[in-house]
Amino acid sequence: MNKPTNPTDWKGAAMQKRIAGRYAAERRFKFIGLGAVLLSGAFLAFLLFVMVGNGARGFTYTNVAVPIDFKAMPLTIEKARLSDADADQVIASAGLADIVDFAADEALGDGGSALISENAWKEVRSAIKDDPALLDGKTVFELPTASAVDMAAKDGAAGALGAQVDALEKDGKLSTGIHWPFFKSADATDPAVAGIWGALKGSLLTIFIAFLIAFPTGVLAALYLEEYAAKNRWTDLIEVSINNLAAVPSIIFGLLALAVFINWFGICQASPLVGGLTLALMTMPVIVIASRNAIKSVPPSIRDAALGVGASPVQVVFHHVLPLALPGILTGTIIGMARALGETAPLLLIGMRAFIGDVPSGICSPSTVLPMQIFLWSDEVDRGFVEKTSAAIIVLLVVLLSMNAFAIYLRNKFEQRW
Amino acid sequence: MTFNAAALLLLIAGLALIGWIAGRQRSNLVAGRAGTKLHSRPQYHGWYVALWLFAPAALFLAVWSSVSPGLITNEVLANEAAQSLPSFGFERGAILSDARSVALGKQDAVRLPAAAPLVQPYADAAYKYAWIGIAAMLALALAGGLYAFTRIKPDFRARTRVERTVMAFLLLASLVAILTTFGIVLSLLFESIRFFQLVSPMELLFGTNWAPQSGAPVDDTFGGIPLFWGTVLIGAIIAMIVAIPIGMMTAVYLTQYAAPVVRRWVKPILEILAGVPTVVYGYFAALTVAPALREFAVMLGIPNASTESALAAGIVMGVMIIPFVSSMADDSINAVPQAMRDGSLALGATPNETIRQVLIPAALPGVMGGILLAVSRAIGETMIVVMAAGLSANLTANPFASVTTVTAQIVKLLTGDQEFDSAKTLAAFALGLVLFVVTLLLNIAALRIVKKYREAYE
Amino acid sequence: MTQDDLTIADPKMRAEGVNVFYGDKQAINDVSIDVGTDLVTAFIGPSGCGKSTFLRSLNRMNDTVASAKVTGRIELDGEDIYAPSMDVVQLRARVGMVFQKPNPFPKSIYDNVGYGPRIHGLAPSKADLDVIVERALVRAGLWDEVKDRLLESGTALSGGQQQRLCIARAIAVDPEVILMDEPCSALDPIATAKIEELIHELRGKFAIVIVTHNMQQAARVSQRTAFFHLGTLVEYGKTTDIFTNPKQERTKDYITGRYG
Repeated sequence: MNKPTNPTDWKGAAMQKRIAGRYAAERRFKFIGLGAVLLSGAFLAFLLFVMVGNGARGFTYTNVAVPIDFKAMPLTIEKARLSDADADQVIASAGLADIVDFAADEALGDGGSALISENAWKEVRSAIKDDPALLDGKTVFELPTASAVDMAAKDGAAGALGAQVDALEKDGKLSTGIHWPFFKSADATDPAVAGIWGALKGSLLTIFIAFLIAFPTGVLAALYLEEYAAKNRWTDLIEVSINNLAAVPSIIFGLLALAVFINWFGICQASPLVGGLTLALMTMPVIVIASRNAIKSVPPSIRDAALGVGASPVQVVFHHVLPLALPGILTGTIIGMARALGETAPLLLIGMRAFIGDVPSGICSPSTVLPMQIFLWSDEVDRGFVEKTSAAIIVLLVVLLSMNAFAIYLRNKFEQRW
Repeated sequence: MTFNAAALLLLIAGLALIGWIAGRQRSNLVAGRAGTKLHSRPQYHGWYVALWLFAPAALFLAVWSSVSPGLITNEVLANEAAQSLPSFGFERGAILSDARSVALGKQDAVRLPAAAPLVQPYADAAYKYAWIGIAAMLALALAGGLYAFTRIKPDFRARTRVERTVMAFLLLASLVAILTTFGIVLSLLFESIRFFQLVSPMELLFGTNWAPQSGAPVDDTFGGIPLFWGTVLIGAIIAMIVAIPIGMMTAVYLTQYAAPVVRRWVKPILEILAGVPTVVYGYFAALTVAPALREFAVMLGIPNASTESALAAGIVMGVMIIPFVSSMADDSINAVPQAMRDGSLALGATPNETIRQVLIPAALPGVMGGILLAVSRAIGETMIVVMAAGLSANLTANPFASVTTVTAQIVKLLTGDQEFDSAKTLAAFALGLVLFVVTLLLNIAALRIVKKYREAYE
Repeated sequence: MTQDDLTIADPKMRAEGVNVFYGDKQAINDVSIDVGTDLVTAFIGPSGCGKSTFLRSLNRMNDTVASAKVTGRIELDGEDIYAPSMDVVQLRARVGMVFQKPNPFPKSIYDNVGYGPRIHGLAPSKADLDVIVERALVRAGLWDEVKDRLLESGTALSGGQQQRLCIARAIAVDPEVILMDEPCSALDPIATAKIEELIHELRGKFAIVIVTHNMQQAARVSQRTAFFHLGTLVEYGKTTDIFTNPKQERTKDYITGRYG
């Protein structure tokens, strides 16, 4: 108590200097905060920039014009058989592949057949199937180039190939168009014909199964826990289970699915069915938690009002609480489904990483999913797959972002403040 | 004629609809005849009938579709045409499934000649069991429906019955979570115990040499330490060095400084960052970040810099975790009562002093819980490390070197050629068990801390 | 100047024609008032009348609400506190505030009291800080109760002790004015009596403004009373006059309990 109690000198030079220092610290701190936000934004921008930069080219492909005069070729196909189920086999065994190669050699010079994709003849085949009259005349086909040629045309290349491509370009024989096989076909070893439709359809089937199981189960479980469950050990156990399942690494669900669904129950391996079951188990806790929050936000007064007019507890929930909570439940479900759609790790373990060259026909046929296709392509040596990978990523991101945007829209539209 | 479960399900659903209508009608009728009021509204009688029609039949359908393939196969194997099959193994399975595909019309012709004689027995057996199944199912549905139908009386408490069933469904749905948890624990434990009969748990937990696929069975070693270290280095060290400061500062800026309009724009951007699938992050790490880091390391003259580096995987994983850390920190800071902030500001503290000396210390338990959850998420993350961190088990602290993680090894052990009983396959489950236990403990600890913290301010 | 003299020659704080808006809503309408250096001034009125809002504009705590806007002039020692040259950090150090609900920081008792002096650099050494903390706690009448447990958390104290800790925290930076926003509304009668006693002791050392919804409390602790209603200052005068001989009908209705 020996310090004299004279008032603090706020206007003194030392105090003013101190204040200036404190404000400088304030500005620095705020700047660091802004920097952190901008850094997060920059990461996202950079990631999107890299993916779009690489991937935009993956939607196009370089074609080369090759005239084929079928009359001059030793090709005998009975037109009547072109409408048969085995038309593909008929055309293939007639030697169309060799004829297309021969025409390419003729049109593009020696080694011309190496410039077109080894699957180019299949394009010709489907053209013939669509219009058998082609066989009677000469047609100029825009055939997909070999992957290396496509790369050279897009990037430029040194050496003999580069010179060849430059020459073709000068002759106006090369053209670039939207790469339709990318959207229409399944995986292939040749980038010229590899597509994402197989994987995309696999993803849709898988997610459909997951939704069919996880949504009703999740919502019903949430209703039970929020509206009816007594506070006892069982309820605690359920609650702890759900909270923990929501945080269990996804790969653990893959191990579970491998051990139970595949090795024990013997459900068809690598199929959308088993993939959907796995993702359903993974997504269900997310849906339960989101649904519980939505149900919680329905005010008790509504329940009291309904009970007051003589509704049974089940009627209260299904007539009043559930409809009011539904927008929130749907928002959580869509976000959970979007996460499941982007999931790869658990599906790796149930065999969905195999090469699948066909579009899956049903929920039990071997299939892959879009994120898995990205993973598989990212391992491919052929440079042509780099841009295909990024293009597939763009498709995946567009799907996921539209799902999330829809969820946010729902949330904003139906958000209710009680 | 084959056993098509989906179509049959539709069939009994149709029957249930008819039962619903019939039940409704009848309840009106009996009420009219008796001249009294129904206890339950007509639709509850309808539901009662429909449930009795549908539930037993559907249950039977589920059981039958999982049992009948086995019965069919047994019947085929009893046939003399099956005696010439090769004894157990891949070939036998392939022949059987080939025959099955043809018999069920999924395939036009057999691919394996040995399957040809089995096609007819298969088709016969399938036909027989399909009819047995369908007949039994329909009988069950009709019996259930009739039973319920005869019980409709004016004073019958159909609503109570229906509601009790609904409650049973709700309870059942909530049990799925427990079942899943038990499924995980049991399947991991079961396979792990088999693994530990081959390899001592001490070796897995404390061994320093990981070489599960050296070829000769004698030389396989399952020392987990390099994997655990790699997991910690990437998930708990590098990723957190990236994610914690950026995530925290982002949360601080957004909650304390940003104008509402900035907040409205930045939050969805962070949500996008959180919504990018991990395979995309993995590809980004492998394609862009890793090569750049390698060049940087070579420039610095760091030895054994690899294109698959711990640093690349860790940094990208950190970026992935930023939104998670930031939203946890956001919640924790927002949970600190406004009175704390006012108290500090009223003393003449600047916002920065208030945040650092009052808000963050007050929010610390919540933030710590969030960080534990983030670590648990990072060490369980798979795709980024599979694609960018590599598969060589090195015990190194050099972040530019290649390390591997528990999750990456699980994937490696279980993909590719596998027999389900070999030690390396079982090792994946043992690793899974370790991962599960560690993340479980982290989650429980984190949830405890967060819950305590929330209670402190309520 | 005696305390019975209504005109204040040299007010500590002076408000002239103050309006406070929250967005489009006007919370305070044209309030002018003088706060004397040696006096305790009480703001009374029904809840929602704007008395707390007005109090918060005296040390610019309204700045923390984005939509709040203050017009008019508020002076501290003749200096406009809303002028650009006025530093808000220093202003709040000079005009301290105690809140309705005790809000000690989740730190030790010592750190709670030492927080202000530390951030303002009032204590060059640890020994100086010890002195400041002790003096503040003594003045707040808390020293004897906590001197053996200065390192325990401030949140572990009882409600009344917490509020006195908050007062000690405000005193520690040596303010000129202390604003108290219903400081006893969360406390029991015994703790309230202690705080009222403390206000008596602090009078003369600081200018004190207290917002209260409790008219007996206003009568007990203050020399000046201002009655607010619907955002306007209805009547301001000596506490004894307001309670025994109000000039305005509305004041009379309020203190006789017709509404509020």
